[in-house]
Amino acid sequence: MKKLTQSLLFSSMLVTYSAHADIAFNGFASIVGGVTTSNDEQLYGYDNTLSFDEGSLFAIQASSELGEGLSVTAQILSRGENDWKPDFEWAYVAYEANDNLRLLAGRQRIPFYMYSDFLDVSYAYPWISPPAGVYSTVINTFDGIGAIYSTNLDEFDVVVHGIYGNSDGEISVDTELTGKADAIFDNITGASMAVTRDWLTLRAAYFQADSTIGLLRLQPLVDGWSAAGFNDIADNISVFEDKSEFVEFGFQAIFDTVQVIGEYTELTTANTTVGDEDSYYIMVSKQFDTILASITYAVDEDHADAITGGVPTGVSPQLDALIALTNGATDAQEVDVTSITLGLRWDFHDSAALKFEYIDYSDDLNSDNDTGLLKAALVTVF
Amino acid sequence: MSVIKKSNIKFLVGLFCLFSTTVSFAEVAVIVNKANNATIADSDISRVFLGKVKAFSNGDKITVINLKFKKPARNEFEDKVLNKSASQVKAYWSKLMFSGKGKPPKEFASDKDVLAFVAANQGAIGYIEAASADGSVKVIKTF
Repeated sequence: MKKLTQSLLFSSMLVTYSAHADIAFNGFASIVGGVTTSNDEQLYGYDNTLSFDEGSLFAIQASSELGEGLSVTAQILSRGENDWKPDFEWAYVAYEANDNLRLLAGRQRIPFYMYSDFLDVSYAYPWISPPAGVYSTVINTFDGIGAIYSTNLDEFDVVVHGIYGNSDGEISVDTELTGKADAIFDNITGASMAVTRDWLTLRAAYFQADSTIGLLRLQPLVDGWSAAGFNDIADNISVFEDKSEFVEFGFQAIFDTVQVIGEYTELTTANTTVGDEDSYYIMVSKQFDTILASITYAVDEDHADAITGGVPTGVSPQLDALIALTNGATDAQEVDVTSITLGLRWDFHDSAALKFEYIDYSDDLNSDNDTGLLKAALVTVF
Repeated sequence: MSVIKKSNIKFLVGLFCLFSTTVSFAEVAVIVNKANNATIADSDISRVFLGKVKAFSNGDKITVINLKFKKPARNEFEDKVLNKSASQVKAYWSKLMFSGKGKPPKEFASDKDVLAFVAANQGAIGYIEAASADGSVKVIKTF
């Protein structure tokens, strides 16, 4: 009886709510097909068999105004590459403190990049997806609090977006160095700032976090150095609450039908074997009525310093083997990649566009990895 | 054989229609409530309609009203005032909507509806075909 009363109470609460709060549903989707042009090279998850799940996604957003400046929003996104398993990409309560200040609590985006806020909304940018070298952080969302302050100073529109929170979810990093590894990022702190005046937008961002990555593949090295009495080197191999820092600079300039966009990013994790990443891209596009043609030049350079500098060689074969393996781990992180992307976007419909892309990818360290990638996408917002 | 030709022609005509631009034929008037005594610089009009300026010079909160998609005056306004194509405007609001930073203005089906709303709400601002403007509102600028 008590249960029945409770459930009745609960359902009447739901009824009252639905009677008072309007829920708005919106969504977006990308259907992407891609294939590489060479026989045995993989690129961004594509190979020489035409694939439609990599890069394809579908999202539904529900939001409701609760009054007094309070609103709730949830965005559920499923990706083809994750077998279409739905995930909460955003889930937050927002409070409009005044016309200038908006506070967010819950799951939200880290405003790393110019396109972070709408990373998956392909309809909102020229490419099928933003340049992979720059847009390469292993996490894009966090759980915590955010504050967005926007104001007008004369003809300048200024937006400052600060955040604090964690990402303790089951994020797995999969790189050559780590293999599959779980990653935790605590105390993610930082802000982005964008200034727009007429045709020009300038942007800068800085974030830091305490990173912990379970590098199981490197554990034998950690044990080896500890046993040999080099605890500092053992420490420098493992990534345990080590400080990662991220810096971004970007600009966007619009000259009538011509648009130029560029972004530079730097990601470092101090006192670890994780390499420093420097990446940038520059894109020029021109609009011809419903067709947007673009060309993007992108560079991605990673480097990890050897951490065995102070260790004498030739003392014992075991120690020499440790040095060789450890240097191998840092050397393996060297990346020097250049890519040129040619893109076409055709706005054939009010709320849908067709996009075509050819990416010419060249690995300046190993030309065996050079390949081309052809992609086509149907993107929509609804 | 002739079937193939016919369908080819249909396809070409269809393609042509898709690519042809909308012909512009009317002036657009930006309107506010009669009681609104705020001054708006010309350069601020597009920022108001893009949600970047949220209050009038007298401090009143701005409520922006849009016309429904496919209305000629909307095309005209987006082209001349916002300096964007219809899909660029849609992309702009998608960015804000899916990042929780804002939502697109309310849309009305006709000039008449926009006039009525602006006449009844002191903070409202909208645009209509210049020929539709009447004494119930204040025209601040025509394009």
